[in-house]
Amino acid sequence: MRGLSKWTLLSLAMLAAVLIALPLVVTSSFAIDIFIRVLLFSFIGVAWNLMGGYAKQLSLGHAAYFGLGAYTSTILQIDFGISPWIGMVAGGVVAMLASLPIGALCFRLRGPYFTIATIATAQVLMLIFLKFRDLAWGAEGTTIPNLGNAPLMMQFDAKAAYYYIALGLLTLGLVITYRIERSWMGYYLVAIGEDEDAAEAVGVNAPRIKRNIYLLSAFLTALAGTFYTQYIYFIDPNTAFSFNVSVEAALVSIVGGIGTLWGPVIGTVLLEATSALLQSWLGSSLGGVQLTVYSLILMAVILWRPTGLIGVMTEAYQRVAQRIARRNLARA
Amino acid sequence: MGEALVIRNLSKRFGGLQAVQDVSFSIQENETVALIGPNGAGKTTSFNLITGYHRPDSGSVSAFGREILGLKPHDICTHGLARTFQVAKPFGSMTVLANVMTGAFLRDKNAGVARDKAREAIEFVGLSAREQTPARDLTTIDQRRLEMARALATQPRLLLLDEVMAGLNPSEIDQAVALIGKLSQRGLTILIVEHVMRAIMAVARHIVVLDHGQKIAEGSPKEIVENPEVIRAYLGSGYVHAPTARAN
Repeated sequence: MRGLSKWTLLSLAMLAAVLIALPLVVTSSFAIDIFIRVLLFSFIGVAWNLMGGYAKQLSLGHAAYFGLGAYTSTILQIDFGISPWIGMVAGGVVAMLASLPIGALCFRLRGPYFTIATIATAQVLMLIFLKFRDLAWGAEGTTIPNLGNAPLMMQFDAKAAYYYIALGLLTLGLVITYRIERSWMGYYLVAIGEDEDAAEAVGVNAPRIKRNIYLLSAFLTALAGTFYTQYIYFIDPNTAFSFNVSVEAALVSIVGGIGTLWGPVIGTVLLEATSALLQSWLGSSLGGVQLTVYSLILMAVILWRPTGLIGVMTEAYQRVAQRIARRNLARA
Repeated sequence: MGEALVIRNLSKRFGGLQAVQDVSFSIQENETVALIGPNGAGKTTSFNLITGYHRPDSGSVSAFGREILGLKPHDICTHGLARTFQVAKPFGSMTVLANVMTGAFLRDKNAGVARDKAREAIEFVGLSAREQTPARDLTTIDQRRLEMARALATQPRLLLLDEVMAGLNPSEIDQAVALIGKLSQRGLTILIVEHVMRAIMAVARHIVVLDHGQKIAEGSPKEIVENPEVIRAYLGSGYVHAPTARAN
């Protein structure tokens, strides 16, 4: 972590302390559940953002990898008794392998055509798992056998444990993004997102870079799939390959700030927290109102701040910093 | 001095349009060659054929003794051919420095090394004051400068400039001419597509004239301005070349 200023390190340390202490202070299982969802969807957003944000390859099919991760670990656990910890990595590898042919096909297309093709891949996978009942329980899905408190099988009595796993995943995603952003790879990704022809002209092997970032993005998304299934103890094609997962992954990044390190996290905090709170306040009395308010927030952000909330925050920070600098200057 | 680029019998057809037909020419190392001709003559298409953006129907292109036909644009860049675009294509959201670093990463993946090399290229084109400006906020000439710096950062041996003077005012054209002169002095081989005749006269040692996809003339600037067919097809009968001071 060279190159970080003292202040950045200090605020990161404080953030880490708060996040680690949070489940010790907050004991409401409703609140912890929201935290876990925020961390998980931040992580999925971060995974999506590597390809969709930096390289602007707007995939709406990341549910394909979420689902493959979920099914791989579940099949390994139920049919072969293999721990989901191993299944998680195996799911990541399966997702990577799947991303190769999917990428080879979809990357032939650009812009909206690419996006539509990615939607199709997730839908096709969902249909495969729905129709081929011998493969994995068909439309009924299955519950994950409850083993009580079995950390080696990724099952815990305490909800806080799931919280820490999700926190670990998010940290992993952020560290990877941070390192990529600052390396040649980050520059190449943004260059491809800006103008693929111009990137090729300065020696960027665009197809190879896109393939590699897709591999990584798919791998990380699959980890989230395994975790989610373990957390809710249930899997079926409709949840594992849910179009919502694909949309959410893109949405949190777009709302928070596409192609930025913290964008997906900020976006998720806003969207997940809002939707959960609206659901609990309005969901029972005025059914459907929470979705309307949620959509209004989305529209407001996209209309007023297409750069995402992180753009607003950066501007505000710069304004404050300038004011302080000016005041110090006046004093001196 | 060897041959930097040899083009033989290059042809490309787009549907019913023969964009480039049987064009051959070659460029000596450290020479500046201009490719001129009316709009639609096939100049930019030739560029795209040389740099791998289009596949020719027939013909061959070799650079520094190696056949490069059929290679992808990034491979061709790795072989030492860097190009700019007729309509500048900066990476808009990136700063000038980040744009040029992207080019520098081709030869060295270390960010520190790339930054130093990028700064050097930026200084060379005279953009140092704009280093932290997002590329989309640059003026036209600065965007052209940026494209040149980005191309230079890939450490090319042959630079292909596609209408870098278009849209520039007279004093900016003088600056651009001076810059190209400086590049040539550094030992770079340059192929330039241009409409601004006084710039061509100032920088080119050799001129190739295209019309309707075919090469109609080739020679020294003096031979070209006196060639009746070039006058008919491109320069116009009223063309009198005003002597320009070679800017360098």
